[in-house]
Amino acid sequence: MTRDRRQSVFSNPSVFSNPNGTGQILSKRQSRRKFLIKAGSAVAAGAFGAVPLRGWAADPVNIGALYPTTGGMAQIGVGCVAAAKLAVEMVNEAGGIKSLGGARLNLILSDVQSDTTVTRTETDRLITENKLSAIHGCFASALTLIASEVCERAKVPIITGSSSDQLNKGRNYTFTPFARASQFAKAQLQMAKLVGDKPKVAVIFENTAFGTSTSNGLKELAPAEGVEIVMFEPYSAGFTDASPLINKVKASGANALFSVSYLNDLILIVRTVKQVGLNVAINGGSGGFVIPDFYKNVGKLAEGLQGVAHWNHDMSDDAQKVNAEYKKRTGDFLFEYAGGLVAQTFMIADALERAGSADPQKVRAALSTLDVSSGYAAMAPGGKVKFGPDGKNIFGHPVGVQWQNGDLASVFPDEDKRAPLLKT
Amino acid sequence: MLETVAQAVINGLLIGGIYALVSIGVTLIFGVVKIVNFAQGEFVMIGMYLSFYLSTQFGIDPIASLVITMPVLFVAGVLIQHFLIRRVLGPNDMPQIFLTFALSLLLLNLALMLFTANYRTVHTSYSDEAFHLGGLYIPVAKLIAFVVAMFLSGALWVFLHTTDLGKAMRAASQNRDVATLMGINPNRVFCVALGIALALAGAAGSLLMPFYSAYPFVGQVFVLMAFVAVVLGTLGNVMGALIASLMMGIAESLGIQYVGADSGLLVVFAMLLLTLAFKPNGLGGGRAR
Repeated sequence: MTRDRRQSVFSNPSVFSNPNGTGQILSKRQSRRKFLIKAGSAVAAGAFGAVPLRGWAADPVNIGALYPTTGGMAQIGVGCVAAAKLAVEMVNEAGGIKSLGGARLNLILSDVQSDTTVTRTETDRLITENKLSAIHGCFASALTLIASEVCERAKVPIITGSSSDQLNKGRNYTFTPFARASQFAKAQLQMAKLVGDKPKVAVIFENTAFGTSTSNGLKELAPAEGVEIVMFEPYSAGFTDASPLINKVKASGANALFSVSYLNDLILIVRTVKQVGLNVAINGGSGGFVIPDFYKNVGKLAEGLQGVAHWNHDMSDDAQKVNAEYKKRTGDFLFEYAGGLVAQTFMIADALERAGSADPQKVRAALSTLDVSSGYAAMAPGGKVKFGPDGKNIFGHPVGVQWQNGDLASVFPDEDKRAPLLKT
Repeated sequence: MLETVAQAVINGLLIGGIYALVSIGVTLIFGVVKIVNFAQGEFVMIGMYLSFYLSTQFGIDPIASLVITMPVLFVAGVLIQHFLIRRVLGPNDMPQIFLTFALSLLLLNLALMLFTANYRTVHTSYSDEAFHLGGLYIPVAKLIAFVVAMFLSGALWVFLHTTDLGKAMRAASQNRDVATLMGINPNRVFCVALGIALALAGAAGSLLMPFYSAYPFVGQVFVLMAFVAVVLGTLGNVMGALIASLMMGIAESLGIQYVGADSGLLVVFAMLLLTLAFKPNGLGGGRAR
């Protein structure tokens, strides 16, 4: 074999010197050569395409977006991608980044497949294969925590609506413009005080990490907020019947019910409360409770139910404008996470504008000095965004919401309130 | 106090009716065909999705839709017996266990693929209504489900005890060889048993739909309770499974009320262990009916 090859390459000069020589070897040789030329030019084209020759200023600015568009969280992820595209279009239509010669934002999407391992590899791939100025993502805190780690190491800023307090610990490239998990419980308790002067709250929560940690937060903060917790009860997630649990709530004499549950359990709980004829104000918290799908599943029973969100579509005129456009495209209202990331895109644009550079380190520096109180970048509860040294928006707080006429209305606190709280 | 107990018992009885439909199916298959059907919960799930689509696409009330779901699943049961289970019936249990377990996994993942993991809910005019008697309440949807479940269980009992085919099924369950010698065609009897068992699962699906959400894993929730009820009520004993299901519903409800909302199953399993300690064959003793 080896000898054959040596012979064909070195001891058979006819291949090179005599084009009309031995037929078969020659044609093979030629086609191989053709292939090499083709492949070479393809590689060269790829290389020149990836490395901009004309410098930063005139080129589009790459923004990475990490969202799960397949897997268990796909439904939310798909909505996020629609909002991310809308936001980039808005920035570009308004003239792009003026300090970069009107550079357009170029959205580079990546599907993190609702999976932590995939999130790690995809974030890595996105950063190494593209010259990114900033990233936003990933909706679920578990995924965002991992993406944030990768971004910190690669020194690319990431801006996220995820609420985990861990994202604000020992990180320099991670920015969180919205309310933190620890703030949600406080808002929920304060909302209970709006319903009655002496709120007696029953807290029921599924016996999982999510349920336990959220409900413990409520329990710790309750005394300081002057809210009495009359029942504090874990239940087995995925039960067949909510009646015994609601029977217990009834016996506790509570006038408000906090349910830390996923969708299916919450539907059973809401229905049973109605059947029992129990008069309690139900607060379902955040997450699956404040998305359009909840109303589709629960229907009219959702009317009057309260929750907390980090963003809501009726908070400001700007938010309502974006919501109208999103609704036109997708048919649903702009839910908290998707709305938040539109604001995040404008925060990135604001930072790029001030940095006058697409360099991720300079964008990070500009984000850390972001201070906005008007425009789409300020679409947050309270209408102000300014990051502290831990990457937390110092004005960040959640917005209390209530289902009214099939829509989610902002009802708390006063500065974000767009509709009165219905006490039914 | 008394009111709370009474309410807990009512709640338990009502959900126990649904457990009964699932467990009677499992125990019937075990009694007659002598196999454990691990896929029984998945047929409840299929019944729920059938009801859901009949209701949302054709406006058929989910409870009324059991006149469609029951025959459809009956036919499915006959086909599964004839083309799958019949081929693995033999002295060795393992192929049967693998067959029904594989069927369960297959159906579950097919459902995930076709219907996605989202919850599907049907709204009926009576879904959120309840009768109020003094301080007690009885949800309409669950009451209807309970009454229909008890009617179907009663009808099955009458069928098993008065018709020739029913008697043949009981005969086959008591001693397959002798029954065959008496001229009973075992495969025909097994087909009917599978058909009835799956039809009951379909009925449970339809009856659940007005007050419970359909999702691919929904069968797993109910099949666990069904297996406990089948053991508690003596394997193969239809009446035992019915009574055990109702008892378990009540035990679960009282457990949630007085032990803790995450301890409903704890009480159920404690009851199972205690019963088995004193009556190793279950409440029905040694008899298989």
